[in-house]
Amino acid sequence: MALLGALILVAAVVGFILQPVLQGHWASLRHQDDEMTEAEARRRVTLLALRDAEYDFATGKLDVDDYTALKRQLSAEALAVLQELEASEGSDLVEAEIAAARKELEEEVRCDTCRHHNPTGSRFCGACGAALVPQETAGAP
Amino acid sequence: MNILGELALWVALPVTAWGMALGYLGGRQERGDLVLSAERTVYATFILILLASLGIVDNFLNDRFEYWYTANYSSRNLFVFYKVAGLWAGQRGSLLFWLLLLSFFSALAVWSNQRKNREFMPYVVGTLMGLQLFFIVVLLFAEVNPYEKLGFTPVDGAGLNPQLQNYWMSFHPPTLYLGFTAFTVPFAFAMAALMNGRLDSRWIEVTRKWILLSWFFLSVGIVLGMRWAYEELGWGGYWFWDPVENASLLPWLTATAFLHSIQIQENRGMLKVWNMALVLGTFVLTVFATFLTRSGLIESVHTFAENTTIAYIFLTFMASIVAWGAVMVIYRLPKLQSENQIQSFLSRESAFLFNNLILVAATFAVAWGTLLPLISEGFFGEQITVGPPFFNRINVPFGIALLALMGIGPVIAWRRASARNLKKNFLWPLGVGLGVTAVLWLTGVRHGLALTTFGLSAFVLYIIVVEFWKGTKARARIEGEGFAAAFYHLVSRNRRRWGGYIVHVGVVLIFAAFAAEPYYVEVQQTMQPGEVTELESPLGGTYRLTYESTSSNVRDPDQNLAWQAVALVMVERNGKTIGPMRTEKRGYIRPEGQQSTEVGIHSRPLEDLYITLADVDLEGIILENDPNAQAATFSFMIKPLVGWIWAGLFVLMAGSLIGLWPSAEKVRAPTVASKATVADPAPAGD
Repeated sequence: MALLGALILVAAVVGFILQPVLQGHWASLRHQDDEMTEAEARRRVTLLALRDAEYDFATGKLDVDDYTALKRQLSAEALAVLQELEASEGSDLVEAEIAAARKELEEEVRCDTCRHHNPTGSRFCGACGAALVPQETAGAP
Repeated sequence: MNILGELALWVALPVTAWGMALGYLGGRQERGDLVLSAERTVYATFILILLASLGIVDNFLNDRFEYWYTANYSSRNLFVFYKVAGLWAGQRGSLLFWLLLLSFFSALAVWSNQRKNREFMPYVVGTLMGLQLFFIVVLLFAEVNPYEKLGFTPVDGAGLNPQLQNYWMSFHPPTLYLGFTAFTVPFAFAMAALMNGRLDSRWIEVTRKWILLSWFFLSVGIVLGMRWAYEELGWGGYWFWDPVENASLLPWLTATAFLHSIQIQENRGMLKVWNMALVLGTFVLTVFATFLTRSGLIESVHTFAENTTIAYIFLTFMASIVAWGAVMVIYRLPKLQSENQIQSFLSRESAFLFNNLILVAATFAVAWGTLLPLISEGFFGEQITVGPPFFNRINVPFGIALLALMGIGPVIAWRRASARNLKKNFLWPLGVGLGVTAVLWLTGVRHGLALTTFGLSAFVLYIIVVEFWKGTKARARIEGEGFAAAFYHLVSRNRRRWGGYIVHVGVVLIFAAFAAEPYYVEVQQTMQPGEVTELESPLGGTYRLTYESTSSNVRDPDQNLAWQAVALVMVERNGKTIGPMRTEKRGYIRPEGQQSTEVGIHSRPLEDLYITLADVDLEGIILENDPNAQAATFSFMIKPLVGWIWAGLFVLMAGSLIGLWPSAEKVRAPTVASKATVADPAPAGD
């Protein structure tokens, strides 16, 4: 009885393991289409860094000069990565992203009062004339 | 079942060898059939090791004392629950149990990556199977086979050490082992990245949850161990810098460093070699901790020494892993260059870097103190041991610095922070920290270290609360959401950051609990029934303890008790009756002659009352049943803030779970383009 159990166990294990080799079943060895490539991963990191910078600015950890400088630098990096992606893929999606990133670069400062986008470095809103002071968070209570 | 189990262990030997060989070979030759076969060995090994483990449990449940392991760690009268836990009660079973968890996590890793990360998987499988092969070889050939037979059948087993018969003890080792083994997966992915040459952050991204999972289990396991020591060892402490405690702390320290440093690699493409070193070091330390616990290499309160040759096998194994890792890192150095540099000393990167340096320094200090007996014996022929004062003196400054960084880090921006902003952001938190310190000083807290820790804790907690508040407010404004929705989205969109802050809150609570140690009160008192001892709490309030009586029981085989002396103490606090508390001395039937003290604990939010029966006339009470032999010596202790350790653990677990929760996010993160168009469909002037 024990012997029979042992035989079944061994046979099952051997059969299960050798089946792919004997019958030529292959497992994929390359990364799949829906996974990020190195370039895509870099793009994501850059975009996350942009988000972080925005957050740090909004919560008063970056002052306006640092923030604008950092944002310009990050946007340029993002653009470079996107162009690299375009070269490798050439899809419409990437085109759209580049356009959007360019737009982001051009239209930087959003007016708190009327939500109008103003070019980087503007001191006053071009639409309603409100002062575009760095969004001062009401610091600590 | 036991025969099948033993056979399964033997079958697993060629299976894992096959899996390791085919994984590596399939990866090198890009043969998908070999890789698929190797992947199947992972599942097969899990089933086989599960059978082998069930066989051991079966041996315990059926009292098969012809097996060495069962005979030494069980007895007929052992409670069923502890018979199942017998699987990890001794060295032999622990090794098998370790292997079981490793094979489970390996199977989980392969199963969850059937359609992802395929370029890593051949080498991941090869590495995982290589490690399992090592453990199987050790189990079968290093005289630690849990299926080894005695050649005769004893009437009864030797019994389980009663100190291990504690529910915390039943969960503490498995939890730690879960932490140790879960870390194998990130290690395997790191090795795979070194072998296949994809050395960007992908391997980290893939294994981030595994790293956090491992860290979670390590943290829980360590604190459960503290709880066990607190309840069971009877001296009222929870940490003794015992070698085995230290061994579990070492991988926790490096894993904590790793959790922080991977964020720099992911965000900034830096520290690649450093992260490789940390993943390698942490993995080796988990192996070290596993075998140290049961190896008898270093004297400790919980080494139940058995077999020291295995220590040398493990040391060789660890050394070869380190050597192999180092060679691979050197070979891949050109691909491990930093993509960026730290732009400013005042940046979150540099805060993370300091955190890493401190944690690694603490690791070295703890390792040095732990291994000193071994090193000194090797070089000078005599064992030099260092005790808690050494470890405290070294680690307290590290702890203080880490506490401060937990406050500083969140407020500093990535890449660069201007001094002006820092001043503005730190003014209030510093004020709160100093204010709390001043208030405590005025209320009579004069211990410098305690004051520093409480002040810094307030500083950190204030910063974290304000972070949550500011973040919610910023999000509510930017996205135009209500506060509740903004808060929910804030946390759910960046769960790692916010979960991390919550973990920090838990750590702060635990640190504050440590800092209260100078305020522990202890009174030893010999009392007759009816006598009263009064105890002043440092936090205010008076305990009135009335000794009632000591009663005895003799021979209770169901409970494995040879005898038992139970002292009852009536407790009142500020005139209000709390109730009777009991503390006992016990003698066990098996193992013969083993004694223990059971403590009484009354927990309140701010302090514990902890009583132990230090001495009683056992002969008079138990043997002669003498009514005049009731004099008993008690140790009464008040332990402020001890409960915060356990509370802190729950907070820490909650924070970790926020980070661990499976995310609904697709592999592709939402892009700027889609976000911008959705948030603001028609910008003016477009």
